[in-house]
Amino acid sequence: MKAGDLRRALRDALLVGALLWIAVTAAFVRDRNKDATQRALRHAQAAAELVAIGDTPPTPTAAAAIVGAPVASKQHGFLRRRVAHTAAGERPLGGPTAPAVDKLLYDAAGRYDKDGPFVAMLSDGSERAVAAVATARGPAIAITAGPEPRAPVPWLAVLGHLGLMLVLVGVGAVLGGRARGVGVALGLATWAFPAYFAGGPGLALAMLAVAAAAGWAHATGATDRAIASVRAHKVALSFLAPAGVAMIVLVVVPFAVGLALGFYDHHHGRWTFVGLANFKRILTGDGHALSDPLNFWFILGVTLAWTFVNVMLHVLFGTLFALILRQPWLKARGLWRVLLIVPWAVPNYITALIWKGMFAGEYGAVNSILSGLGLDRVSWFSSWATAFSANVATNTWLGFPFMMVVALGALESIPKELEEAAEVDGASSWQRFKEITLPHLKPALGPAIVLGSIWTFNMFNVIALVSGGKPGGSTDILVTDAYRWAFERGEQYGMAAAMGTIIFLLLLGWTLIGRGLTKGDEEARP
Amino acid sequence: MIRGLAIAALCATAAACGRSDAAVTVWHAYDKDERVAIEALAADWNASHPERQVELVAMPYDGFGDKLGSAIPNGNGPDLFLYSQDRLGDWTAAGVLEPIEFWIDDATAARYTPEALASLAYHDALWGLPVAVKSLALYVRTDLVATPPRTTDELLAMAPALTARGIFALAYPVDDLYAHAPWLHGFGGRAMDGDTPTIATAEAVAAAAFARELVQRKVVPAEADAALTATLFAEGKAAMAISGPWFIADIPAGVPYTITTLPTVSATGLAAAPYLGTEGILMSARARDKDAAIAVALAFTSDAAAALRAERAGQVVPNPAAYRGALADAPRLAAFRRQLAHTVPMPVSPAMRAVWTPYKNALGQVVSGAASPAAALEKAAADIATYARTEGAR
Repeated sequence: MKAGDLRRALRDALLVGALLWIAVTAAFVRDRNKDATQRALRHAQAAAELVAIGDTPPTPTAAAAIVGAPVASKQHGFLRRRVAHTAAGERPLGGPTAPAVDKLLYDAAGRYDKDGPFVAMLSDGSERAVAAVATARGPAIAITAGPEPRAPVPWLAVLGHLGLMLVLVGVGAVLGGRARGVGVALGLATWAFPAYFAGGPGLALAMLAVAAAAGWAHATGATDRAIASVRAHKVALSFLAPAGVAMIVLVVVPFAVGLALGFYDHHHGRWTFVGLANFKRILTGDGHALSDPLNFWFILGVTLAWTFVNVMLHVLFGTLFALILRQPWLKARGLWRVLLIVPWAVPNYITALIWKGMFAGEYGAVNSILSGLGLDRVSWFSSWATAFSANVATNTWLGFPFMMVVALGALESIPKELEEAAEVDGASSWQRFKEITLPHLKPALGPAIVLGSIWTFNMFNVIALVSGGKPGGSTDILVTDAYRWAFERGEQYGMAAAMGTIIFLLLLGWTLIGRGLTKGDEEARP
Repeated sequence: MIRGLAIAALCATAAACGRSDAAVTVWHAYDKDERVAIEALAADWNASHPERQVELVAMPYDGFGDKLGSAIPNGNGPDLFLYSQDRLGDWTAAGVLEPIEFWIDDATAARYTPEALASLAYHDALWGLPVAVKSLALYVRTDLVATPPRTTDELLAMAPALTARGIFALAYPVDDLYAHAPWLHGFGGRAMDGDTPTIATAEAVAAAAFARELVQRKVVPAEADAALTATLFAEGKAAMAISGPWFIADIPAGVPYTITTLPTVSATGLAAAPYLGTEGILMSARARDKDAAIAVALAFTSDAAAALRAERAGQVVPNPAAYRGALADAPRLAAFRRQLAHTVPMPVSPAMRAVWTPYKNALGQVVSGAASPAAALEKAAADIATYARTEGAR
């Protein structure tokens, strides 16, 4: 036997043992609280039953009485008086200086009127129980005096158990060989006893499983290797830790919560598990006609049209301006370039609000120009086509600079000799564009188009601020509709989360397709 | 030392740490004059109640409601807080609030206007004491309108002369239910009956048709939101505007105006009645000393306290007895007080929150002529029913 063996065995047993201790302690506290709650409920119920037949409860109560029916005030129906009947006589409940304990009787009587006889814990965190049973004169109500006494923590047993565990582990390590792993497993298996009493057979079995796994890991040296690897990469791990924690807290957890919420229904602060019902409701159109903006497929259609039209216009205008900027005859090129990037540099909600103002019916710039030209004013947000066009115009303004910058970069990379050679060979400018410029633009524009389409697909600001879904929600896209489920339709967070999951899956699919497309381009590249 | 650091670290994350157990904690989202006024009230209380101090905690308004809704059930919230009544439905269902009718007798209730008190009642219980009320009223540019219209017929009659000069007689957000509510109620309609939306009623159809008439006759602009309403009124392109007390801050100095009550709807003879929003002092269900908390709530809403808030912060207080001396004649307060007699409490049912957007869509369709009032409101009613239906309830 080596001293190192004993040290390693104790180390593994204590590490795993600490985790098991936490689990058992949590189960113990839960069990103890449950026991105290049940006693409180029993005492309240027994006391209320005695009050009902006119006896004095044997356990101390904060208040106990038979409470009469409410009498509403003449001025205000919601101001209602009740009378408490106790052994000491009658007294009215309530008034500006009435004691708080009378209020417990009063509120319990109100609950009795709504729900019938009940026994429950008070929701004020005082760990008192209240019970109401029926009598001919109204509910007999009793409230326990305070928290029920709790069983003390059995420190002696804990210490003894800890000692037993260490002895078993130590004996295993001393014997050496196969006994080392068995010792760790047996020592940790002792946690199954307190686990059985505090948490039942399920928890005990879980403890045994963990003990067996820990023993096996110890015997095979897996724990040694894990600890050695952590030690070896101590510095790297400590550098990774802040970013790792941030990723978990800011990305992984919200994402998981968002996914999970899609399977729940939220109603007045209560969450109910509903399985796939939210998804079913969304994907079946929820009984709305296909032409109704409340039908998911209608919104999906609008979203796809929105994305396609926008990205097409972004690429068109972006490439066009990039080509113009490249022309040798253009003066003050730097200035033009800056001006064309400005729409991108301005925060997009400000741009959206400006465009919304320009499309305003009465005083908007667009209508002023139209009427200046002798044309009719257009009520932009009262029909689908005009409202959609207004959105598209705004987003095109916002989106083309990105494509222009990408295209400019790609154009810079075209070798001058190639174009000059083509020119010398007598290629027309259209031929040069088609055979040289376009093929060089494609690899750069491919990923930009995938990225741009994802941005446009989820372009919340423009839709929400310009058309606001008008008319009648028909220009909403998926992401604004998800917002409405959460904040404008009775806080149906479950529906909003399900919608979010669907949007995620759609975009994930599109990214994979897009990656395939652009990868093809890259491979084809010389 | 280490313990102190640990407590400091915990306090940095839990807003409730600063409170001492002997104090009544009051959270509010007031700033400027309103904050000064409530701090004066707290100082008064603390001077006379050394054994039970009040601790005010000022919170940013953004997310205040959500913070209350999550802090209180976890036992980290205040004992009392100031909030408007529109979340009562959710909060009572979630057990956030303490019902307080137990402490309020008729004599105490008589301090407040019945409408203000009633707007803090829900499901046969009272959930707060009214601190301040707000409603819409009629803003009139006295340089453009000599006599404010007393009826909607007078309003329609005075419009052509103004329209000829390129001026709208009236501006308000036509498609917004909050701004449309005076007409809805003036035609005898209601958006909610208890927890049930009542959307496509004959009265609502008549009110929507009236809004369309206002737009078609160019009495009001078709697409004014709150910002454009303020601009039109300030620039003299609208002679009158429907808005609330907050509108005063938007009117530039030098614009001659007066505030008065909304006109009577000629078709029904009923006064146009806007929604009454009531800010109340509400008690947390987890308040530690509820007797002390109700005493503070009663003190902060006494007639003297209300007078102080009205005087220092310009609040429209629901205590009729507070308006004495100079306050009795303050013209702006007087106009809103007169309007209070013709208001409908803002519905507190959680179902109301699903009504706003479909109703806005419907009004938008109606005033633009894209749909008839009846068809648009029936579509809105169907949409609201869709939202109200939840998987859990089925």
